[in-house]
Amino acid sequence: MASPFLIAAGEVGGDFFHERSSGTLPCQAKETQLFCWDWARENIDRYGTPTVQHLEIVVLSIVIGFTIAFALALLAHRRHRLQSPMLVATGVLYTVPSIAFFFLLLPVTGFGRDTAIIVLSAYTLQIIYRNTILGLANVPESTKDAARGLGFTDRQILWKVELPLAIPEIIAGLRVATASTIAIATLVVLISAGGLGTEMYGSNFNFPTAILIAVAIIGLMVLAFDLLLLTVQRLTTPWRKVRPQ
Amino acid sequence: MPSGESDAQSQSGASSVRYEETTKLYPGASEPAVDHLSLEVPAGEICVLVGPSGCGKTTAMRMVNRTVEITSGDVLVGERSVREREPAQLRREIGYVIQQIGLFPHRTISENIGAVPQLLGWKKERIRQRSSELLALIGLDPELGDRYPAQLSGGQQQRVGVARALAADPLVMLMDEPFGAIDPINRERLQNEFLRLQAEIQKTVLFVTHDIDEAIKMGDRIAVMREGGRVEQYATPAELLMAPANEFVEDFVGSDRALKRLALMRVSDINLWEAPLAHVGQATAEVRTKLAAPNVEIPYPLLVDSERRPLGWLSERDLDGETVPSRADSPLGPVLDRDDVMRDALADLLQGESQYAPVVDHQGRIDGVLSVEIISEFLASPDAKSDEHPAVERPHG
Repeated sequence: MASPFLIAAGEVGGDFFHERSSGTLPCQAKETQLFCWDWARENIDRYGTPTVQHLEIVVLSIVIGFTIAFALALLAHRRHRLQSPMLVATGVLYTVPSIAFFFLLLPVTGFGRDTAIIVLSAYTLQIIYRNTILGLANVPESTKDAARGLGFTDRQILWKVELPLAIPEIIAGLRVATASTIAIATLVVLISAGGLGTEMYGSNFNFPTAILIAVAIIGLMVLAFDLLLLTVQRLTTPWRKVRPQ
Repeated sequence: MPSGESDAQSQSGASSVRYEETTKLYPGASEPAVDHLSLEVPAGEICVLVGPSGCGKTTAMRMVNRTVEITSGDVLVGERSVREREPAQLRREIGYVIQQIGLFPHRTISENIGAVPQLLGWKKERIRQRSSELLALIGLDPELGDRYPAQLSGGQQQRVGVARALAADPLVMLMDEPFGAIDPINRERLQNEFLRLQAEIQKTVLFVTHDIDEAIKMGDRIAVMREGGRVEQYATPAELLMAPANEFVEDFVGSDRALKRLALMRVSDINLWEAPLAHVGQATAEVRTKLAAPNVEIPYPLLVDSERRPLGWLSERDLDGETVPSRADSPLGPVLDRDDVMRDALADLLQGESQYAPVVDHQGRIDGVLSVEIISEFLASPDAKSDEHPAVERPHG
């Protein structure tokens, strides 16, 4: 009877159906009120640790996911035969429902952050891989022909011509991957990996204030990462902001 | 060239190119694209490979820098077989200009021009200096050096393409329909600029085109090719026009050969009319006397500044006063350069709907007047048809 799900459920029960701040604030009692400012003021510091955990998981997942997807894309770029099989492989990973993915890995990697990061980085592979391939494919043939004819080696063409020109697509992929990773990371609480999910799926599902605060933090996080990546793109692709004259 | 490192590149020079039974058979093809091609291009000359599409001219050109691998035979650049060379190293010694230009969109104009020097490991300062030198050479504003290719017009981009190919002072230039995607007016300008440049730098150039007019204008020698890279005739433009080797060449050159001869002449090759000149402030009576002289064919005086640079045509009304006014009533219309190719000069006249136009020298000073009448008289004269007309001498040898 020891199916992974049951183990998880038992474990989860102990972990996150913990006591919410026991005080009985006036608005907490009224279930119709959407947001309880008094509670928010008193409990805002409980979001600190989950936010940091969330950030750590997201950043590590993106870094690992990007490293793998980028390497796969470079490999497929050199050997075109590999392109479709890799697209299928990363695509299959992407279609596994996230909760199922977590529980499938539990017997292998157990509860905690490692499993969370494995799953989340697996989800980023598809979009980052596909966008990198797309970016490399969009480099005009004439630009590569000129580079070759001028005496660039294949490696120089890749690093000095193709990859710089593919930056916009690569970063577009990273932006989508980061946003979805931040969202999916709320589920890693199910495998006791912490994060903002702890504060969202608490014992009291009909107390929206706690959930709204977590959602707001996640929204800000998505926005901050998006702005960061956009800034990186602006700085690394100055030629794109020029207007033809 | 800035002096400094004494690598072989800085020794300005050109190498001959020799095809020896060069053959290219593409995988899966039944016939070779180029079949036992033998051709010698002397150092410092422009050799145009011309022919219908699919004749193998581009393949032939690309075997020089091994962007197409040779199946059998060899190509020698300056007596050295390209097959023995490491391709990337070889290509850095050979300029490469293509129709689609292929500038690096993510690099500034200066960085584009400095691409090959950078690969060769030149010092930053020397690259910067070389880039601005070349910008000046191709007549672009040095300010454009910090722009990106997308900010330049097509014509400017292709000038940069040529400058980029010249940056490391290559021994040979390969140009694959370099002006093919440029509009006709700018194409003519770019062709002229390149000829002027070539007179200075004297590179060995392999120039591919399907346009016989361009071939005649650009080539010191022309190889007319047909399928399989077979050379039907390899001759100077004048020889080609006067004595086509066979029917294929004759057809390809076309029936308007007399007119094409105009492409071989410069404006300076023909006797111009003298322009009746008028200076600002000069007495109009004096000007009227000039106009009445028997050798003057033009009814209007040309207003020039103190450097004898033309300003405009004076009308009858302009001469009403005591002295010549500082501004001409009629616009100048087209102004021709002594070095313009005659065919282009004629085109400019027709385009400007002018019967005649002033011809100026390098400093912009008036040299004379060219008219449609002069050209049609030349075409009608036996000179135009004779085989020994001196005008076919090319100005840059």
